[in-house]
Amino acid sequence: MIKISQNLDLNKSSVAIKVSNLTKRFGPLVAVNNVSFEIGRGEIVGILGPNGAGKTTTIRLLTGVFKLENNARIEIFGKDIIENPTRYKKDFGIVPEVSNAFSGYSVWQNLMFSGGIYGLSKDEMEERSNTLLNQFDLISKKHSKTKTLSKGLKQRLNLCQALVHDPPILILDEPTSGLDPISVNLMRKQILKLKGEGKTILITTHDMQEAQTICDRILIMNKGKIIADESPDTLREQFKSTSTILFKTEGKLKENQVKILSKIGNLVTKKSGYHVFSSENALKDIANLYQTTEENNITITDLKIKDTSLEEVFIHLIENDLKFVEEVGNK
Amino acid sequence: MIQESIKRILILTKKNITLYIKKGPVLIFGLMFPFFMTLSWVIGRKISFELIFIGIIAMTSFFTATAISPVVLPIETREKSLEKIISSPISLNEILWGIVLASTLYSMIITSIISVIFMLMLSIDFNSLITILLMFFGIGLMSILGSLLGLLVAANPTDMTSDVMIIVNLIKFPLLFISGIFVSLHAIPLNMVIISFLSPVTFLADLFRFCIEGNNFFFVEFDILMLFVWIIALFILNYLFHKKTMPKRLSETASKKKMMMMKKNMA
Repeated sequence: MIKISQNLDLNKSSVAIKVSNLTKRFGPLVAVNNVSFEIGRGEIVGILGPNGAGKTTTIRLLTGVFKLENNARIEIFGKDIIENPTRYKKDFGIVPEVSNAFSGYSVWQNLMFSGGIYGLSKDEMEERSNTLLNQFDLISKKHSKTKTLSKGLKQRLNLCQALVHDPPILILDEPTSGLDPISVNLMRKQILKLKGEGKTILITTHDMQEAQTICDRILIMNKGKIIADESPDTLREQFKSTSTILFKTEGKLKENQVKILSKIGNLVTKKSGYHVFSSENALKDIANLYQTTEENNITITDLKIKDTSLEEVFIHLIENDLKFVEEVGNK
Repeated sequence: MIQESIKRILILTKKNITLYIKKGPVLIFGLMFPFFMTLSWVIGRKISFELIFIGIIAMTSFFTATAISPVVLPIETREKSLEKIISSPISLNEILWGIVLASTLYSMIITSIISVIFMLMLSIDFNSLITILLMFFGIGLMSILGSLLGLLVAANPTDMTSDVMIIVNLIKFPLLFISGIFVSLHAIPLNMVIISFLSPVTFLADLFRFCIEGNNFFFVEFDILMLFVWIIALFILNYLFHKKTMPKRLSETASKKKMMMMKKNMA
């Protein structure tokens, strides 16, 4: 498990979000388990994790959808949110994973609604909304009912709604999930543009490429806990010595063969037919692999060695975390 | 601060009226139910026009007022727009007021239109302008009261409108039957009169009897006082119940999703 780096190089006054001891239980299930982190002003931080890791729950706790439990604490620009639980929400613009715009409202009505509840005057709302609709190429859909929009357009509308009051912090919950490549590209460009404008951005995703491309820092979550908190480069650096070995065999591997080969490394079979495992000593493991396959009458038809990508770091961390949890459970 | 709060309540009210006025349950339980209830009550019976008029407006105001308020929260829970509202700078009180105000306005407008139409159709005479104003005042009070009653049932943290509407109807019909709309309080035994206190519609119907027939059972002041007592009690109950169930409402849908994901991951 990677050490969580809490000593962030941030000026004290420039901390946008400081979260301490966030916990959320759903009955017996601990969805978020004592999570703490900081996000500096102007940073883009990604929360990565598999489905059910606690990413969205963390965001819901942060945005006031769920009540804080026990000694949990959230500070926004140095102020505890308890001081004014309603006021601090004005600092946030939130883009959910699934559109929550009013489906019976038009694009324009949704923007007017958002502007209104964030206290904008009519002129401000109209000016800002028109600017955003042009920026996000939605102007032609201004009077279309939201329920008639495609997922990509709805997500753009969500981003417009989140930005209508020009908040300093933007919280994006899997903003590109389920979008077509063009919409994904547009969304990523807009996110980077917003970073350029000085916005602090917290983004949850399970897309490694996205995290690698746009995030300054990555928090990896699993089973409600943060298991890593580093920049994408540092994460890769820590696993530089680790390689990924991919191989194909003649015919499908039998269950007992998988079991035998799994002794070399944690074997995962991909849709492409490649069997994959990460290795800290590639030469030794390949030799081992050849010997084992020969002994067990398995023929290797293709073999590749790859440098570790962020995706593999992620898988490695999650697998190690699972092993650690199992070991603790066995003890 | 208060100005901002009022502005937000009005935005929510506008949204609730615009989005939910045409919803199936609102049309069925708000307009069709009172119409068919009145029809089944009136047809084949010798009832004075005045009594018919009282029945129509009492039922219309009660039914229309309890039509919008129960459906808003379940629909918005299901469509996740409640999550959007909760994560915006809006307080629970503002959310509740936005629903009550929308429901009240809907009820007042519909009931007032129907009152005027039937007033002319049935040639209802009023003693004075004050009694007409008093009748509309009563419609206003019942609209608020009915809205609060519907909203209280919606404290049940579900995302299914049918779950809420079943309970609303289970409550509405008994309240209507014990209220003295169909049978005058003068004509029922004392123990039934005591039971009728459990229904706010009793005091509304009695107020209307004063305005139209001059044949009321209680004092008018008492009717108005009791309607206010009901309103205050319902408002307090609404605040307490929703404060308790709102986190549960948001957690439960999330919890279901989370459990499903966990099961999927384990599989």
